[in-house]
Amino acid sequence: MKTGFSVFLVAFVALGASWFGLVYAPLHQLGIEKQTAILQSGDTWPPQRTGDATLGLDVYREYGCAACHTRQVRQTGVANQLELISLGQHQAADFKDFLKSLMVVPELNSFSNTLCGPLAQWDGRLPVTLYFGPDDTVIAALVEKLKPLGIKTDARVVATGADISRGWGLRQSVAADYLYDQPVELGSLRAGPDLTAIGAREPDLNWQLQHLYAPRSVVADSSMPAFRFLFEVRPISGRPAPEALTLKAEFAPPAGMEVVPTPEARRLAVYLLSLKTGAPLYEAPYTPATAAK
Amino acid sequence: MNDESKSTRPAPDQEPQVTRSTAPMWIIVATLALLFFGGLYLDSHSGWFNDRVYAPYDSAEKLEAFQPKSGAGAAAQGKRIYEAVCGICHGNDGAGKPGQAPPLAGSEWVLAKGVNRLAHIPLEGVSGTLTVEGKEWNLNMAAMGAALSDADLAAVLAYVRTSWGNQAGEVSADDVKKVRDAIGGHPQAVTGDQLKSIPE
Repeated sequence: MKTGFSVFLVAFVALGASWFGLVYAPLHQLGIEKQTAILQSGDTWPPQRTGDATLGLDVYREYGCAACHTRQVRQTGVANQLELISLGQHQAADFKDFLKSLMVVPELNSFSNTLCGPLAQWDGRLPVTLYFGPDDTVIAALVEKLKPLGIKTDARVVATGADISRGWGLRQSVAADYLYDQPVELGSLRAGPDLTAIGAREPDLNWQLQHLYAPRSVVADSSMPAFRFLFEVRPISGRPAPEALTLKAEFAPPAGMEVVPTPEARRLAVYLLSLKTGAPLYEAPYTPATAAK
Repeated sequence: MNDESKSTRPAPDQEPQVTRSTAPMWIIVATLALLFFGGLYLDSHSGWFNDRVYAPYDSAEKLEAFQPKSGAGAAAQGKRIYEAVCGICHGNDGAGKPGQAPPLAGSEWVLAKGVNRLAHIPLEGVSGTLTVEGKEWNLNMAAMGAALSDADLAAVLAYVRTSWGNQAGEVSADDVKKVRDAIGGHPQAVTGDQLKSIPE
């Protein structure tokens, strides 16, 4: 075989290139992921999980929660938003006229429809969005004109997309979010809602446990199966146990009985509570809502 | 069968032969060029494989443009750095320490119209006498802010100028950068009289 060496060389380069591109490069980029700094704050993301929450991931995996729930928020766009917070001593009607008079400024001229159009029906209620779009020069130009007049505005960066409109998160999921997930339970089917920020949406431990025991006791039209085998229904001996669930009469056990979560149920609930809204990161920036206050 | 087709066929008793023929050069060049520009297009629309650039951002510049610039977050950052760097002497309440550091709350140096003069203090340090709120101080402050980034120092100055009852304007990283550039590579602790000669 005269060409043996060339065949080896070509095969080596081809396999080596794909190994480099598909194994080494991703590992080098994401395999060494550490906690990252939260924008404009001294804290880091993601927060470390407690022991129970870490064990809860195994329960989540064992009962196949990822078959019906995803843990990934998608984002389709990003926008700059300028909100009018307060008018100072000025009147709403005067402000509309003033805004119209500003349109001679070259930076604002091309935005006159975007800026003045929506304000035509404005009833003077605050806060109101002055601008929502990709441009930030228009915001800088507006703020420069409004600030000396004592008119307070708030410029924000907002992530947009269907998942974000549904309230499942404030930004898209990025690799850093899954730092403490082993394995990562991304999920691919949304028979139920996305759980990326379930701990922020429903921060009550009792709610999470009620929902596992009897989903329809807290979400009227839930299609989730009840995970009753994670709970023990037992007769009350002496005083009711402190961890017993408080349930609506419809779902409560017969008199003299109580529903107590097993350690597995507690771990799963604690894990769900540990899933918080993604903090603003460099790779997924947004202005947190507290900035408006 | 005509004569023409007969002539192109090999004779029946002849073994078929593999012959060499090269693809036209222009096809090779065009294919390579297409591959090259295809690769460039893919790279430039995916942030050059930057691991921090996710869709919908398609470049690091675009991602940079959407980083929040101000707001409560910046104030929190300013407070954190202030308490780590400045608060030890000037106090977390900005009231200063008798004999050691003058107060920042209500100080005319802090509440100046611009930050040009104020920014010289953390960037160069102060030595000698300085009058604050009518009281004379004999100071020896190191250039505590020289190691901070422009944005961080701006956040600290903004925090100082808007806290404990202070109500002065905001500070941008550009303001700090201007002062830093003016100082150049030779910071030298300033005295009160020198500071007064610097425009506000």
